[in-house]
Amino acid sequence: MTQSRIDATQTRPPLWRNVTFLKWATQIGVLVGLVVLAWILISTALRNLEAQGLSLDWDFLTDPVGIRLGEGIFTQPASGLEAFATAIVNMLRVTASGIIAATILGVLVGISRLSSNWLLSRSATAFVETIRNIPLLIQIVFWFFLMTLFFPTLEVDASGPAPGWLIVSRKGVSIPWLFPTEVFWQWFVFVAGGAWAARRVYRRRIELLEETGRETHPGRWALGTFVLIAGLGWFAHPIAGALGWLFALVAAVIAAIPDFAFQLLFAAVSIWLGARWIRRFLDSRRTPAGLARLTDDDYFRMGLAGVLGLAGAAVFVAIPQITSLITDVAHFVFAFLDQKFDFLRTGVPLRLGRPEVVVPGRFPQIGDTGMTMTPNFFGLWVGVTLYTAAFIAEIVRGGILAVPKGQTEAGMALGLKRSQVLRMIILPQAFRIILPPMGNQYLNLAKNTSLGIAIAYAELVQVGQTLFNQTGDTIQVFLIWMAFYLTVSLVLSSIVNWYNRRVKLVER
Amino acid sequence: MGKKLTLLTAVFALVVAACGGGAEETTTTTAAPEPGETTTTAPAPGGGDAGAGGGGAEQAGGSLLDTVIARGTLNCGVNETLAGFGFKDETGQFVGFDVDLCRAVAAAVLGDADAVKFEPLTAAARFEAVNSGLIDLLSRNTTWTQSRDTDLGLDFGPTTYYDGQQLMAKKADGFTADSPLTDIAGAVVCTNAGTTTEKNITEASAALGLDITLQTFEDFNIVMENFKSGACDVVTTDGSGLVSRKATDPAGDEWVIFPSVPISKEPLGPAWKQNDSVWGDVVRWTVYAMIIAEEKGITSANVDQMVANPPDGEAARLLGASEDEIQTKMGLPADAFYQVIKQVGNYGEVFDRHLTPLGLNRGLNALWSDGGLLYAPPAR
Repeated sequence: MTQSRIDATQTRPPLWRNVTFLKWATQIGVLVGLVVLAWILISTALRNLEAQGLSLDWDFLTDPVGIRLGEGIFTQPASGLEAFATAIVNMLRVTASGIIAATILGVLVGISRLSSNWLLSRSATAFVETIRNIPLLIQIVFWFFLMTLFFPTLEVDASGPAPGWLIVSRKGVSIPWLFPTEVFWQWFVFVAGGAWAARRVYRRRIELLEETGRETHPGRWALGTFVLIAGLGWFAHPIAGALGWLFALVAAVIAAIPDFAFQLLFAAVSIWLGARWIRRFLDSRRTPAGLARLTDDDYFRMGLAGVLGLAGAAVFVAIPQITSLITDVAHFVFAFLDQKFDFLRTGVPLRLGRPEVVVPGRFPQIGDTGMTMTPNFFGLWVGVTLYTAAFIAEIVRGGILAVPKGQTEAGMALGLKRSQVLRMIILPQAFRIILPPMGNQYLNLAKNTSLGIAIAYAELVQVGQTLFNQTGDTIQVFLIWMAFYLTVSLVLSSIVNWYNRRVKLVER
Repeated sequence: MGKKLTLLTAVFALVVAACGGGAEETTTTTAAPEPGETTTTAPAPGGGDAGAGGGGAEQAGGSLLDTVIARGTLNCGVNETLAGFGFKDETGQFVGFDVDLCRAVAAAVLGDADAVKFEPLTAAARFEAVNSGLIDLLSRNTTWTQSRDTDLGLDFGPTTYYDGQQLMAKKADGFTADSPLTDIAGAVVCTNAGTTTEKNITEASAALGLDITLQTFEDFNIVMENFKSGACDVVTTDGSGLVSRKATDPAGDEWVIFPSVPISKEPLGPAWKQNDSVWGDVVRWTVYAMIIAEEKGITSANVDQMVANPPDGEAARLLGASEDEIQTKMGLPADAFYQVIKQVGNYGEVFDRHLTPLGLNRGLNALWSDGGLLYAPPAR
């Protein structure tokens, strides 16, 4: 009996009774099953499409399309790709400006709902209850019609509240704007550098404050640093033009090295990453008493890392197109940057543009000298902003209420003002609670921009639908739609998750 | 086993197609089998409308004619917002020129003009509805174009209405019925999305080097509201649609339709899924029968006398009043076209019923003998 017990602990069980093996085998089996299932699904769908005489070709992306878009970077796109690029930029414009506006408005309304001022808290409640109980589509069409039906008609002599500075009309609202000039990127280097330096200065002043206990004005110092560097860059930006040589050099090097060298490099990196993972894994199992006993599970993990590393290398070697795609993109980026920087290029980085009315034919239009908000953008932007803000307000209110009352009382007992308690004690704690649901609202906002189709805003769904009506490539457009919204949602949620990890309480 | 696998594949294909189909209500991959045979077909996700499902299109074999006869109703895709062509009246009934074509085909195939299930469709959703088998016939002011005829997998019937794209602007802006297209330079032009009009105006303005801003709306009612408010300077769509809008709007007198020669050809007619010549013959000859009936003066009022006392051999054959009629060879009852004329009327009657009240005159849509383009092959 004793003997058999020793056997049980020292010899390995047969493979079919090894739990670790079975676990891994199941995982791999399920994975293979999923891949096969997906393959069956896709090939069946393709075969059925073939039988109906519909083919999944992507020529419409490069062929001329013969459509016009209401607004955007290419209003007369030469190809499907340009049309989609315009639509995506338009969609991201609404999404980004909507997220910023909805966050600010939502936080203000959410705090107002808890205000002790009766009028303020009741108006905030009325806002939330009205906005969130009306379907978004109706709101979007409402705001659109508000502008196109009730704003003043556009007249040639653009009188109004501030002639030459503001145009308010049924065809849009136009305001003065600072437009980047060709030397903008050279100046931008200084702006980015200023922001980085300001951050360093801010931290240093905070450290000083904590060491000495006296007021060190970290905010003012940081702002001063930023203004100084950015202001210096306004005049000294040609210095940054020297970066152009660096970018040109990198682009030339990428072009000079043959692709097979990159292939080998990437393959080597892939193997190295696998090997590094295994090495770190072994390091983590190392104790002062020597290497810990490795379980079967550990061997499987290391084996998988090794296989993935080798598979990556094999893919890079076997499919040269992947490598050439990567190097092409890198070359394009550096060549593009090279054009933006020139040591000899001088001038002002930003130019002021004032709105004006032009009459290209019989009808007055808003010229493109100012920053113009079309009724279509206005309707969609105001619609999604207010709608999302109503939900954000409720999330903020819930988050603040979830912070224990004792925190407020403790803050007051320390002699802080009400605003200071809110800003320095309540909101930072409430922030941790409200961040995950806020992420959901941002995703909703991004997806709700697809309702812009109702008011002819040239976003992805509207443009995609126009495209497939002209070309008949319905399924391809649907695939592009799904891929794009999935990508935007994943990027947005990973940003929120990353930020959430940064601010959440560190727990052990 | 084989059956199960087919079923499984069909369900997968449905799911995939449903994912891809999005906006459509129903997306199936095959022509529907006989309703009585749906024993093994599980309720499909995405909702097979008429007991559809099972297998790929390669096994379809039979014609839509058999499917429609077995089902006992015709599924017909129509417009529900275009007065005169396809419109839902106050009582919720579909009425209009295109709607009557559906009713005519139902009368020919099933002997009952009311045996139609109307499927209201947007411009953007209509072609998927044909390809997915949701509808047997599309009669929704649809322009016959090369790409739709070939690339989209459709077949088109005879043109029932020769239309052309025009523009509409306000007289106050200095437009007349003779204004050239170049007058729209710099204008905000609005139209409806998912139509040929969008491409026509783009190409026409590009050819003239005109810079315009084009806005395309899903709903033409929004286009008209913006036109009235001045947010849109000019609207454009098929000439018949503009006439109908101008006639029904109180402010219509202040608007003008131009240029006098339309900027495009818009032959509107019925369409169905391609490679079904039996069904195609039925639809084609229903339209021709209505045209021939007008030529010969056969109306819904006098058709009974005409059957009893045919004016000539062709009329006798067409109305099934003679032994050498051809309808039974097409798989139809001998009196198929008699029912069409009796229950729906000839082409001229249908035109007068729906389009004349809007102020549209026959124009190109007169009989060839009156200088128009309507010309039916002889029934013999």
